[in-house]
Amino acid sequence: MSAAGVKVELKPGAYKSGLKPVWCPGCGDFGVLNALYRAMAKLQIEPWNTVILSGIGCSSRLPGYVKTYGFNGVHGRALTLATGVKVARPELTVIAVGGDGDGLAIGGNHLIHSCRRNLDILYILMDNEIYGLTKGQVAPTTPTGDKTKSTYWGNPEPSVDPCELAISTGATWVARGFSGEMKGLTEMISAGLEHNGFSFLNVMSPCVTWRGDDQFKEMKAKVAQLPEDYDPSRRKNAVKYTREKDKITTGVLYEVEAPSLTDQLEDMKTRAMAGNGSQSTKEMLSSFYPSF
Amino acid sequence: MPTRDLTFAIVGSGGDGVITTGDMLAQTGASVGLHVMKVEAYGPQIRGGESSCTVRVSADPIYAQGDLVQVLVVFNWADFAQFRGEILAAPDAIVLYEEADDTPREEIDLGPETDDVRWVPVPFIELAKESAGTKLAKNIVTLGLLSELFMLPQEPLEQAIKGKFAKKKPEVLEANLKGFEAGKIHASKITEAASGKRMQYTAGEPMLLMSGNELSAVAALHAGCRFFAGYPITPSSEVLHLLSELMPKVGGYLVQTEDELSAIGAVIGGSFAGVKSMTATSGPGLALMTEMLGLASMAEIPAVIIDVQRGGPSTGLPTKSEQSDLWQALWGSHGDAPRVVLAPADVEDCFHATVAAFNIAEEAQVPVIVLSDQFIAQRRETLSMLTLDHEVTGRQVPSAGDLRDYKRYKETKSGISPMSWPGMKGGEYQTNGLEHTEDGSPTSMFLTHEKMNAKRYRKLRRVRDKYSFYRHYGAEKADVGIICWGSSKGPVKEAVLKANGRGERVAAFVPQLLYPFPFHEFQEFIKTVSEVIVVELSYSAQFYKYLQTFLELPEGHTYVYKRSGGKNLTVSEVEDKIQKVLEMSAMRREVLV
Ligand SMILES: Cc1ncc(C[n+]2csc(CCOP(=O)(O)OP(=O)(O)O)c2C)c(N)n1
Ligand code: SF4
Ligand SMILES: [Mg+2]
Repeated sequence: MSAAGVKVELKPGAYKSGLKPVWCPGCGDFGVLNALYRAMAKLQIEPWNTVILSGIGCSSRLPGYVKTYGFNGVHGRALTLATGVKVARPELTVIAVGGDGDGLAIGGNHLIHSCRRNLDILYILMDNEIYGLTKGQVAPTTPTGDKTKSTYWGNPEPSVDPCELAISTGATWVARGFSGEMKGLTEMISAGLEHNGFSFLNVMSPCVTWRGDDQFKEMKAKVAQLPEDYDPSRRKNAVKYTREKDKITTGVLYEVEAPSLTDQLEDMKTRAMAGNGSQSTKEMLSSFYPSF
Repeated sequence: MPTRDLTFAIVGSGGDGVITTGDMLAQTGASVGLHVMKVEAYGPQIRGGESSCTVRVSADPIYAQGDLVQVLVVFNWADFAQFRGEILAAPDAIVLYEEADDTPREEIDLGPETDDVRWVPVPFIELAKESAGTKLAKNIVTLGLLSELFMLPQEPLEQAIKGKFAKKKPEVLEANLKGFEAGKIHASKITEAASGKRMQYTAGEPMLLMSGNELSAVAALHAGCRFFAGYPITPSSEVLHLLSELMPKVGGYLVQTEDELSAIGAVIGGSFAGVKSMTATSGPGLALMTEMLGLASMAEIPAVIIDVQRGGPSTGLPTKSEQSDLWQALWGSHGDAPRVVLAPADVEDCFHATVAAFNIAEEAQVPVIVLSDQFIAQRRETLSMLTLDHEVTGRQVPSAGDLRDYKRYKETKSGISPMSWPGMKGGEYQTNGLEHTEDGSPTSMFLTHEKMNAKRYRKLRRVRDKYSFYRHYGAEKADVGIICWGSSKGPVKEAVLKANGRGERVAAFVPQLLYPFPFHEFQEFIKTVSEVIVVELSYSAQFYKYLQTFLELPEGHTYVYKRSGGKNLTVSEVEDKIQKVLEMSAMRREVLV
């Protein structure tokens, strides 16, 4: 996903839609939005050739705040919409965003298959370990034992590590970020946009309203960096930084090269059209005359 | 006396080559310009199990599967028993059955009136073994036998056999040709059995032999569809199969998604991105798509969804037809979600309806459901090359002026607002499943919601005015008028034309646009008929009840003939109802006089 050169330089502010975010003051999603503006400016991405799609949730409101083509769809289906946009118009820059409930619970199946297909988009999952919009129910990333609106006696279920899931199901670029780390996050978003294939970015993005002010502090205290000489091309290295209890290791955990879905479909098209070019309707129908 | 119209049925189990035999008969008929209709039926087994193939061959145009079978080939009576009540023999049918199967006659149920049936035992297995060295060749023996007995074109049949075994070892082809000969020779020993049933026809130009699903697939490409997303489901999968071959050939893209939620989501995404997009499914898949159908209505995104109906609810009767997805298609949604519902009435119509569906979807920016069904979607029949003079339209795009201060959901008289797509500079907007203002921003204001609902529904008016698809058959003024939809049309049309031939005043009205409904045309039709019969394959009479929600059907003069699907509608059923209503109305006239 690269952006062609444009004449006027676009500053981060140029990517603002003008709509005021509805998020609570202090919500981690502001950090993600600001990092996205910066990364887009860094790559000079053309807003009119870009589509941002989402499901439903606080985090899924994000497309409305960016001056690109935007699609705030229905709960859990951001990746289905993104699949259609990217496959039908491979030349576009496509970004899907959403929450942990949206992407891992109701939409979990689509995440698995987008990873497996190596769909050439960037997917940013804003992980607040809770259902924000519906006012504080347990999410697939909520730690075991936590009390939420829907787990009065504490969460009885284990949580999932989204990065581990993405790596194991075929994503070719997997990173973890923290909404309070603007510089690192901006770099990750721009690297994810440039990667050919499915780029999965899990951003720890606190919900001050339903997880309390402490969530930000706790996350911040846990943030750690990958070692200087880290080699992200080995799955076994990446797995070491998943399911961490006391740390949130940020950075690009995993990165490999493999043909994206777009590459595969373009190749298929070339093979199908080789020699005879596009077929007319009459030719297609004529193949249904009995032939022995 | 020769005949111009014969219906064959071949029944056996999976390994008997029943379908191949039917295919070859159909192909042969089509190759010499005969009119052919071929219907397959299976049990629920994936392989093996009972299967049947019914092929009607006629020198004249046909509109329905033959009700009663004139030539029945049975390899195995146990398999035949699984089709009880579905495959009925004509009173003077010829039954060619495997000699080695000694099922007692009294255990065999051929149908209600079969006293004069000619029972002809044939040693299919033995003939195959003797001539070809394997009982696998018994279907080829059957082809030889049928062609000789009923004067079917033999040369194309031989060609078909050669084609089928071209890739096999030469011995295999030779063995099968011997089998074919053996069938012919055996036929010459029993020629009397076929008296009165020899086909008479003049060979003509070859015809296309296609199914509704195949026509829907080609039609989509003709209408400019360049993106298809779908999840396999019987009886719609042939659309996916054919498009997987053809779509890249025309420069388009196809994805088999992980489920139907994803299929409709991808279609909405593709269409949002400016590419004409479609999916195909059956009832269970449409149920999964329901939420996002509402998204397409709300966000005003064109989408074409083909629903090939099968028996339901739940997994139901996956391989058999029914007309019971109507309510789901019309009303399956939360919220007030305008969509358009079209119903092709025959195989060829699948082409026309699909092209129309794209035009309507793109012009009115709505989801369009094409309600096909197993009977027209999977049966193969002959047709002439289409004229292909269809109008193909697209969506209204914003002008340079519109783009200066672009409002995606701008209020207009027709309700239709110009729609930009990615790549158009200045056309950037956010679309939304949330209620939204003219520029697409979310809102929960009552006033905006009311205004936008009105805008979205207003678009349907134009659809109804421009596309009042319906068909009218039979008498201008009629004693009995039948109303039906979809694949019921075939048997109804044939029954109406037969009644007209007898001098009875009968007519039929078949809407192909089901929603919005061609109301005015229907009112005109109702004025010309005395008695009305609504005919449909839905146990709960979904179509009749739908009509009642906005129409006043003549009180005391309206009859409903409805039953479950699982067995295709027959001409004789319709004729029977026509007779009953004619008698009833004659009686009423007497009383009134
Ligand atoms: C089909 C459906 N089910 C349920 C909902 C209600 N709902 C909206 S958002 C949401 C969860 C939001 O959590 P998450 O995806 O983590 O996003 P966050 O608000 O935390 O950013 C739920 C359950 C819905 N909109 N649609
Ligand atoms: S509820 Fe939580 S996630 Fe939602 S906007 Fe407020 S802080 Fe953010
Ligand atoms: Mg959340």
